[in-house]
Amino acid sequence: MIAYRNIHKSYDLPVLTGVDMHVETGEMFALFGPSGTGKSVLLKTTIGLVVPDVGDVELDGISVYHGDRGAVEAVRQKVGYVFQHSALFDSLNVYDNVAMGVPEDVLARMPRRETAAKVWEALELVNLEPREILSKIPSELSGGMKKRVGIARAIIGRPEVLLWDEPTTGLDPINTAAVERLIERLSTELKVTSLLVTHDVEGGLLMCDRVAMLDSGTIRFCGTPDEFRACPDPVVQAFVDRAAAEAALDMVSESYD
Amino acid sequence: MNHQFPGALPRQNPITGWFAGVGRTTQITLEHAGGLGILCAQIVVAIVTLKVSMRSVLNQMYIMGIQSLPIVLVTGSLAGIVTSQQGGYQMTSGVPDYILGSLVVETVVLEMGPVLTALVLVGRIGARITAELGTMVVSEQIDAFKSLGRDPVAILAAPRVIAGVIVLPLLVGVADLIGIVAGAGAANLTVGLGTESFFYGARLFWHSWDLTYSLTKAIVFGFSIPLISVHMGLKTKGGAEGVGLTTTQAVMFMTLTILILDAMFPPLMLN
Repeated sequence: MIAYRNIHKSYDLPVLTGVDMHVETGEMFALFGPSGTGKSVLLKTTIGLVVPDVGDVELDGISVYHGDRGAVEAVRQKVGYVFQHSALFDSLNVYDNVAMGVPEDVLARMPRRETAAKVWEALELVNLEPREILSKIPSELSGGMKKRVGIARAIIGRPEVLLWDEPTTGLDPINTAAVERLIERLSTELKVTSLLVTHDVEGGLLMCDRVAMLDSGTIRFCGTPDEFRACPDPVVQAFVDRAAAEAALDMVSESYD
Repeated sequence: MNHQFPGALPRQNPITGWFAGVGRTTQITLEHAGGLGILCAQIVVAIVTLKVSMRSVLNQMYIMGIQSLPIVLVTGSLAGIVTSQQGGYQMTSGVPDYILGSLVVETVVLEMGPVLTALVLVGRIGARITAELGTMVVSEQIDAFKSLGRDPVAILAAPRVIAGVIVLPLLVGVADLIGIVAGAGAANLTVGLGTESFFYGARLFWHSWDLTYSLTKAIVFGFSIPLISVHMGLKTKGGAEGVGLTTTQAVMFMTLTILILDAMFPPLMLN
């Protein structure tokens, strides 16, 4: 279980002002919210990429910020992180990028043949043809392929938790749908806990067991997709309506394309 | 009469404004000093715990050393030629011609070789490192390293600093040598000073300490340039604009540091 306890974070202005939330083990959880409300910041506090000013995160009982020395490293070994813009290493080819997902000490001991097999398997899991792309560098890949390589890098170490930071950002509707199917399939097949930050409300509601909405630095809503749709809170309703309108616009533009 | 639009920001008193400016500058300076100190400590830890890849160090040595060689050869030889020509122009009467040899060698070895090579590397290597790491920060590649349990300091910072410390003395040695040879050639062509007389003059005032001085400067500059450029790169904020701004600041920071360190060397090592 991932538990966020009273998370506060400010930069020039307050971003998170007391977030309390938990994600159950094996659950698929979506976090919605308008742009700039701190969804990615909250996600990054999970593995110490952003250190909260106040509060703590616990992963399976390990306190990330008030625990032993090395707690952050221990948590990072359990978590796979899919970045918004893939964050592939420019200077490395696909093989080396994906192999980076294997913990350093394990990789050092692992025979090269075994590493290659793991990379191959991870790329196949994200529906990529390894033979065609292993030696390519990120600048030679399309946006959708970069996302998949980023996902392969996150899952190769067989994490217990997957954090998805807006994995469909910048993709066309067809690729968005494909990546969403992939997220759903991987979360089920790998039996991981998934926390998904997304702007695609409809996709999130269809895929996830529970959802939450972050607004003005706090959790405005947390519950099942059905409860979210039926929520009488005008802020939540306005967000759902706007998201539905955007989805409809996407469909219209897709049909014109 | 003092007109002020409603809602406009209150005018700042010039004196408090000046103090605020000094305070901000002091704060920024201390933040940089602290950041550089922490980065130094992290690099030492990465080296001591053997986390630095030799392959990365060799790769950086190739980029900093071999790829910088042509520009270092050009600046080194021009430094020797210009010093020789100006020295020859000023030695019009009363001073034996062979003194020009000493003047060229001492100027190139003590000053021009190390400082010009360092300034060339600020532009060629320092700016490149800051822009490269800055881009990695804004595209979340540094976060990706951390999320995968890798230490960006061991992977990115330490190899660059180690390579700088090894490569810069070698480049300065090359710049010194080519500067002296070019200076001797220029002295022959412009003043008619023979090579033997040039090197006779050079030996007359030569101390072996001069070479130690030159190479010590090179080691200090070779440490400072990658350290500052890595520090600035890792502090980049924002998008492409942030990378551009940080790179410009880094070049200014490195240039000033080289010149200030250069000014500190004579009282420390030539007395």
